Amino acid sequence: MHVYLPIAEMSVNVLVYLALGSAIGFLSGMFGVGGGFLLTPLLIFLGIPPAVAVGTGAAHIVATSVSGAVTQYRRNNVDVKMGLVMLSGGIVGTFVGVEAVRLLRKAGLFDVAVSLSYVTFLGVIGALMMIESLNAWRRRGAGGAGTSRKSGGQHSWVDGLPLKMRFHRSKLYISAIPPAVIGMFVGFMAAIMGIGGGFVIIPAMIYLLRMSTAVVVGTSLFQIVFVAAFATILHAVQNKTVDVVLAGLLIVGGVLGAQFGAVSGEKLKGEQLRFLLASLVLIVAVRIAYDLVAVPGELFSFGGLPGGR
Amino acid sequence: MLRLPIFALGLIGLVMISVPGQARGQGVRESVEADVSTRSVSITSSFTGTEILIFGTVENSRQPSAEAGTYDVVVVVEGTPAPVMVRKKANVAGLWFNTRALRFASFPSYYAIASTRPVEEIAEHAVLDKNEIGFGHVRMVPAGGSRTTPRDPDDVKEFRDSVIRLKQRDRLYVTADYGVTFIGRSLFRSTIALPPNVPVGPLVTRVYLLKDGQLLSQYKSQVMLERAGLERFLHDRAYGSPLLYGLATVLLAGAAGLAAAFAFRRSIR
Repeated sequence: MHVYLPIAEMSVNVLVYLALGSAIGFLSGMFGVGGGFLLTPLLIFLGIPPAVAVGTGAAHIVATSVSGAVTQYRRNNVDVKMGLVMLSGGIVGTFVGVEAVRLLRKAGLFDVAVSLSYVTFLGVIGALMMIESLNAWRRRGAGGAGTSRKSGGQHSWVDGLPLKMRFHRSKLYISAIPPAVIGMFVGFMAAIMGIGGGFVIIPAMIYLLRMSTAVVVGTSLFQIVFVAAFATILHAVQNKTVDVVLAGLLIVGGVLGAQFGAVSGEKLKGEQLRFLLASLVLIVAVRIAYDLVAVPGELFSFGGLPGGR
Repeated sequence: MLRLPIFALGLIGLVMISVPGQARGQGVRESVEADVSTRSVSITSSFTGTEILIFGTVENSRQPSAEAGTYDVVVVVEGTPAPVMVRKKANVAGLWFNTRALRFASFPSYYAIASTRPVEEIAEHAVLDKNEIGFGHVRMVPAGGSRTTPRDPDDVKEFRDSVIRLKQRDRLYVTADYGVTFIGRSLFRSTIALPPNVPVGPLVTRVYLLKDGQLLSQYKSQVMLERAGLERFLHDRAYGSPLLYGLATVLLAGAAGLAAAFAFRRSIR
């Protein structure tokens, strides 16, 4: 069964994209990430123009993260105040990011910029997460349970910043600047890479803000909903690269998958979850890095979209 | 004194002989009449490509049989010319970057050619160039560019060839060397497959009749290729009112997410 995509201007197999959507949704529900970091590369791999993959990926993230955030909210795992502070930065970052996409496309550097950002962020964060989860796993195996992340009572530079706010749900009293900056950075990436940025936000919240893992997933999803919504609208207006039919296919699969994923995720321990996510992130990073370095089969390519200006 | 009338008669007679003679000569000269099976193709959500049939007849055919090969027919279906940007990757510090680009001001977005035999065998380059028959003979004008724009003719040719290669890969440039067949002495037909990714816009169909490398006659018509139904509605919204389109997409996505979250609460717990 095929359907013609109005913006991507191609005929695609419905079942392939439904399956892709649900697989991504499952992971998204399980790890509390938007799943965009997997979706965008896979869409490009399937032949969707990169810019359309990024724009449409943002719409998909809205759906999966709404679905996930509602589930998390019911379990009281969302720090709304923290989410809003991050969001304020996120909106600014998204705006800058969408403009960057426009300029990069004009210069013909968009594809390579996306690939490079993916390799860099996925590589660094995947590696850090992997090391951390393995250490936690070993500690637990050695019987050293109960080791707190805040061990040693060390004060990081985060504690010295002004504009302190109390975040009840997270049981934190910290400056509003780090969450806003994290949000801004993630908004920028959401726009340029078609991702919600969960895989950056979650480690940042855990290691920089020292929030507990339980609240981190819900809060990250909460703010991703809004950042992704904003990115979708901006992509639609600025770049005309949001394909609503493609988004619909991915979403139908995605929202169902996310629910199953959230249930499965509950059965895993925090460090197991992080280890699996880290492995996934690293695999994607290596795959994209390979394409950047390997001799391409075709040196030439068309710039811009067939339907674009 | 009879000389003048005789001369006059002779003159008239000459004119009378030569005029019908010319008329007869024109009557013998072959021409082509053709048509396309469909004048409009709608691109709807279920569009997976389509096939158009181009058929025609050679008027005053002197071909003894369908297999004689007296005439050559070339059918060209061309999409709307559009500017195209080609980029070339090069290795910079181990990574493959787009380093150079060339913009062609005008390039057929789609080009299908079918003929009774390979076009290069049919006629000289000059004839093919003049009528833009064949990938290599299509007019492609490089547009002015930036400092990374290649100027060297060899470079331009490389970019031009790459456009053809990429278009062929995407099945937007297709050739069928023996795609036109004669059925009988004067009737011929050819089918051209429009792929699902055919660029939307009017298609120009041209039919050329050649003999011994000389163009005898040609025929031209248009096939409309338009979005229709939901397909058209969505595309128009995306380009016409992008803000609304974006908002609607987000609402749709949000609603789907909420629906799933609530539906599942009931079924799981």
